[in-house]
Amino acid sequence: MSNKVVGESVPKIDAATKVRGQRKFPQDFNMEGQLYAKVVWSEYPHARVLKIDISPAEALPGVVAVLTSKDVPVNEYGINIMDQPMLVGEGKKVRWLGDRIAIVIAESEKIAQEACQRVRVEYEPLPVVSDPREAMKPDAPLIHEERGDSNILKHIKIRKGDIEKGFAKADVVIESYYFTPHVEHAYMQPEAGVGYIDEQGRVTVIAAAQWSHDDLHQISHMLDLPLDGVREIVPAIGGAFGGREDMYIQHLLALCAYCVRRPVKMVFDREESIRNTGKRHPYYMKYRTGATRDGKLTAVEIELISDAGAYASTSVAVLSNSASFAAGPYIVPNAKVDAYTVYTNNAVTMAMRGFGSTQPPVAYETQMNKLAEALGMDPVELRMKNLLEDGSIALTGNPMPKGVGIKETLRQAALASGWREEGGHWIKPDLGTPSAPYRRRGIGVACGYKNVGYSFGFDDKTGAVVELAFDESGEIVRALVKVGASEVGEGSHTALAQIAAEALGIDYAKVRVALVDTSVVPDAGSSSASRHVYISGNAVMRACQEALHKREAALRDETGEKHVVGKYEYHGRSVRPTTPYDPETGMCDPHISYGYAAQIALVEVDVETGETEVLEVWAAQDVGKAINPGMVKGQAGGGVHMGLGYALTEEFIQKEGLVKTRRFSEYHIPTTADMPHELETIIVEVPDPTGPFGAKGVGEMTTLPTAPAILSAIHDAVGVWIDNLPATAEKVWRAMQSKS
Amino acid sequence: MPTLKMILNGQEVTIDVEPGDLLANVLRDKLGLIGTKISCGEGECGACTVLVDGRAVDSCIYPALKAQGREVITIEGLGQDNRLDAIQQAFVDRTAPQCGYCIPGMVISAKALLDENPHPTRKEIKEGISGNLCRCTGYYQIIGAIELACERLAERGGPE
Repeated sequence: MSNKVVGESVPKIDAATKVRGQRKFPQDFNMEGQLYAKVVWSEYPHARVLKIDISPAEALPGVVAVLTSKDVPVNEYGINIMDQPMLVGEGKKVRWLGDRIAIVIAESEKIAQEACQRVRVEYEPLPVVSDPREAMKPDAPLIHEERGDSNILKHIKIRKGDIEKGFAKADVVIESYYFTPHVEHAYMQPEAGVGYIDEQGRVTVIAAAQWSHDDLHQISHMLDLPLDGVREIVPAIGGAFGGREDMYIQHLLALCAYCVRRPVKMVFDREESIRNTGKRHPYYMKYRTGATRDGKLTAVEIELISDAGAYASTSVAVLSNSASFAAGPYIVPNAKVDAYTVYTNNAVTMAMRGFGSTQPPVAYETQMNKLAEALGMDPVELRMKNLLEDGSIALTGNPMPKGVGIKETLRQAALASGWREEGGHWIKPDLGTPSAPYRRRGIGVACGYKNVGYSFGFDDKTGAVVELAFDESGEIVRALVKVGASEVGEGSHTALAQIAAEALGIDYAKVRVALVDTSVVPDAGSSSASRHVYISGNAVMRACQEALHKREAALRDETGEKHVVGKYEYHGRSVRPTTPYDPETGMCDPHISYGYAAQIALVEVDVETGETEVLEVWAAQDVGKAINPGMVKGQAGGGVHMGLGYALTEEFIQKEGLVKTRRFSEYHIPTTADMPHELETIIVEVPDPTGPFGAKGVGEMTTLPTAPAILSAIHDAVGVWIDNLPATAEKVWRAMQSKS
Repeated sequence: MPTLKMILNGQEVTIDVEPGDLLANVLRDKLGLIGTKISCGEGECGACTVLVDGRAVDSCIYPALKAQGREVITIEGLGQDNRLDAIQQAFVDRTAPQCGYCIPGMVISAKALLDENPHPTRKEIKEGISGNLCRCTGYYQIIGAIELACERLAERGGPE
């Protein structure tokens, strides 16, 4: 097989239309005779709805309908547990600000907005539970009375070896408490779309979605329609990062179209988007880590408490990931992990880049850096003594599958940043002179790893269809790939087209990828878990091979057939079936495949203000095989962006369930001025034999090490540990003051 | 209803607008120019950037009537027929767009910068697009694309 497409930075399949502004996003669709909808959101984070009066809204000229819970056939939805009401009716509870009372549909957006103001709602406020540690207590007010007598949604236990013996062997024990905040996905395209009834009578939604086929299940349940009575079309998506894995507008558009039988458009403004959609889980993390004098880890004891917010979403799956990665990419013979996710009246928390593997590195990598300091050992060297290799026994008792690239990844990041290896020891580089006398320089290192594909026995599968067209001579003139993989901007369609071109031995320019329309493309699972190159790539490759087999048969038959179709449904369990946690010991084989990352950050801290400036980041990621190196670099840039925001500037703030950071002028994602002056991206390729061309996943791993690397660099610069994100100038300054 | 007259992407346009209408809404909803994106609605993110008399403005907070008699250029005004403008082509070649929602605003901000300063330093490029937020890229490939566009324009001896 020639290797001229895979591994090349070919232009992204949709780049030209995007730079021209021609690519249509959900807010760019308009339909003949469309109406406009707006939502009446809850005004309280926890309250009983006593009375809803929609008549003043209905009386406003131009209002077509005001929908309440009475209009919803089955008033429940949810991606893992159907614990969310579509609309909250009289006598029922609102559990966070993002709960909805009504939807107004009108001839114009302005009228709909004005009518929303006229809906009168009487509430009986209830006690607000805004801290998961309080919510866990037996006497805490219950968020979901109907779901048992505790707000604890899930408790996961891991018991490996004997931690008493492990800590007895330790010469040094580090104990710390860490906090990571709520984070807003802050995709640039706010939720929007159109709902309508298509020519076959199907309730149809055009919206940005990470898993359109799963949305169909939820929408058909809510509307009490058969699965083929609903349809979703996914145009260009303006970023997702996990935030579009749950439905935040799709079901609303579906309900509107179902009720009024006319096209209905809805667009959230930025404030609505920030106030009423899911976030990254905040974590409270208690860590105790022991090691011998020569730097071998002996035991860890970990408690993780995550704030699930008002509804379950994927909190249990996110927590499951966190627990399995809680000890980091290290061999730890003895471990005890207790992980909890707890309902509160805060914003719903959900998937976000890393899916539970992003919070623990802040703790486990800072623990490693504190251990290195306590042992007087170089932090790279300490890691090298403990990192996982092929066959190493992981925290959950399973052997690591082939392709563990974390040592090589860390080695390359360290060497690129100036670290030296001499006589078996690693030596930190000289950092040069700070740019001003009141500034101090520091350098820090961190690693991270994460699963690729679905885990814990949940079968990961992608269906792919490849249609080939031939000319007279039997040459392929065109290939159309049909796969329900949402292109969220990361480049999945480009990578899948490259894989198809390579598998078919044709030019990349001959491959097209069909628009995701559930009436046309097969289910490919969600654009999450860094899985499309790995799982869907395997499916597309095999569908191509299937089509090629058919071509040979067709040509031999001389039937004159000009088209063939190859189909394949690829299952992750064909690699290795994963298993759920043992309820008592936590032992399992959690994940199919893994990706690895290591980063080093060079910072300057202003000792007068506490402000941190990141000068340079060296970002190495083991992607198995870079299908498109340009896109891998793009993922590294974006991952570091999100990691830097996590470290220094981003915090979605709520007080007693009310939102304080309502817009981009209050919630700060990094600008060009905040980003490291230089980013050196290092692509490491330790192949995963089960991935297409050896590829693993990319998207999430690139964000894992950034925050702990920066925290470690701040410590190196000014001698303070910030264990509570974000490390704002004020926090760093206060820590320096209390130290001196 | 007041009438707005402007030169839009080289053509004279006359259209009725409400006094409170913002330029971004007029472009998108009344003129069908969907390339101008709305994201933050408060002039923080630059997704809605257009040129008014050569200056980059946030059209989501720019009163439409302020464009009276002025020359407005949107992303649709760059390039010709099937040919991309040098900046757009460089964005494609450097894998700059990911989701692409910020990209029209980025391209327009880059154009404003290069029209005024054809040989910017990296620092000047970063400043030139510091009012444009992107959540996908970390900006590096966007900055790289603008540098590439500068090189290509210099070889050609100026903008097209």
